[in-house]
Amino acid sequence: MQREDPGNASGRDSATPLVYLNNAATTWPKPRGVLSAVEECLRTPFFEQGRSTAGSAIDYLAAAREALAGLFRAERPDHMIFTRSATDSLNLLIHGFVSHENRPFHAITTELEHNSVLRPLHTLAAKGKITLSVVPFSEGHVSLSAIKAAVCPETRLVVMSHGSNVLGSLQDIRPIAEYCRANDLFLIVDGAQTAGQIPIDISEIPAGAFVFTGHKALFGLPGTGGFYLDDPEAIDPVQQGGTGTDSRSLFQPEGMPQKFEAGTHNYPGLASLLAGIRFIREEGQEKVARRCRDLTATFVRELSRDKNIVLYAPAPELPVVPFNIRNLDNDETGYILAKAYNIITRTGLHCAPLVHERIDGGSGCVRASMSYLNTEEECRAAAGAIREVAENADR
Amino acid sequence: MRIVRSNETKTCVDGSLLKEFVLDEPLTPGFLIFLQAFGTVKEYPHMKRPYFSFEQEHFLSIKGFSGDTSIEVRYKKEGIGLTGDYFHLLLYYFREGDPGKAKMLGIAGSIREKMKVRLPPEDKERVP
Repeated sequence: MQREDPGNASGRDSATPLVYLNNAATTWPKPRGVLSAVEECLRTPFFEQGRSTAGSAIDYLAAAREALAGLFRAERPDHMIFTRSATDSLNLLIHGFVSHENRPFHAITTELEHNSVLRPLHTLAAKGKITLSVVPFSEGHVSLSAIKAAVCPETRLVVMSHGSNVLGSLQDIRPIAEYCRANDLFLIVDGAQTAGQIPIDISEIPAGAFVFTGHKALFGLPGTGGFYLDDPEAIDPVQQGGTGTDSRSLFQPEGMPQKFEAGTHNYPGLASLLAGIRFIREEGQEKVARRCRDLTATFVRELSRDKNIVLYAPAPELPVVPFNIRNLDNDETGYILAKAYNIITRTGLHCAPLVHERIDGGSGCVRASMSYLNTEEECRAAAGAIREVAENADR
Repeated sequence: MRIVRSNETKTCVDGSLLKEFVLDEPLTPGFLIFLQAFGTVKEYPHMKRPYFSFEQEHFLSIKGFSGDTSIEVRYKKEGIGLTGDYFHLLLYYFREGDPGKAKMLGIAGSIREKMKVRLPPEDKERVP
């Protein structure tokens, strides 16, 4: 396994090795190949199709599209659209769908969603452009029957996550996608927590769009992301600009992927994404998923012994472990872990306020999230530290 | 104690403003005793490093470790603008001992009165 020595990158406590467990936000460290790919990209002029006669040997855009399509088993690489993040993708898709519909309709989302879904939808609802139903989850999962119960004759759009960034639950998305396809509902699947984490076969998920981000389990840099769009006619482009193609036209090209990609791309980011995907392919997606499941199971097992630790997801399907320590606020726990143990977690609401209203009364929790590049030793050490803090908070 | 530098400033989920300060000398148990006059101090002396928190319901909260020169101060949203100097003043009047405590209580009272003027009527009763 390739891994850069993390060293003391936090600058917190040089005597204690850093344990980074905030991978559901951004994975760190990155594989060595990712670091060298970015350096190589920056050393050579960018290959910009149609824009420049000088170019590097690597067409990062085309290569990354092909690599993603291969990883996700998507049929058409040119339907793989690059954006700057999953949030950017979700906004382009949601607002683009509303623009294309051009009349008010009903949309459905779930309590599990991130603010990158909730905020665009609520903003549109406040402007009277949509009406919105928020479907509840049960034990971390949203059932097809719950989606069906929310559907009405005016429903046109369903937006939901593939995996929860708080509970680590994985949705059984295929039957929901099949139901939406059969009933002419446009389904946007937010795969921010699943892309690169588990095997994904888009050809088996008949969704309207599948959203990914580059900086989490795909091991790319922040500032990379995108979506796979099945039917480009369903979405209006909400951004217009230079594409390097059909430049005499004063309107956005209709062809893919230019219809949804305006402006200069993030070439170093795409180089990192390409290298991240190659790393996953070399290691094996099944192996990545299995290792993360094992690390998570070890971590949960270690914490579940302690009565002073509240686990909100006893058996997460993704490497995300939400918890609190009795007698401490979540931000206090995170602070003590960071400053006294050099363990990096994330605290608060994780941009998913409706989940927290259900699990902890809206006050938030600590989230530990592992990556393929964490070790079992790190997970055991972190769990031991958390148990120690819990014990001392109870004294 | 004096502030040597401010390491980090960020806005929190609830709109409060978080600042990490570095002090010129380590925090002492005496400072925690001083803080008790102005709010609730919780101490966890058995932690790997002796952790404490201070909560002044309407002004700010503080987190840190006894014996450390680093301290995290979180200014509550409703008081921002009035409480920007409060932590600096706590450090200043701590040096003066009991007379400083009396002056600091007077300052806290003054801030409360100003907060009442600024807050909408339904929130005024919340500030004692």
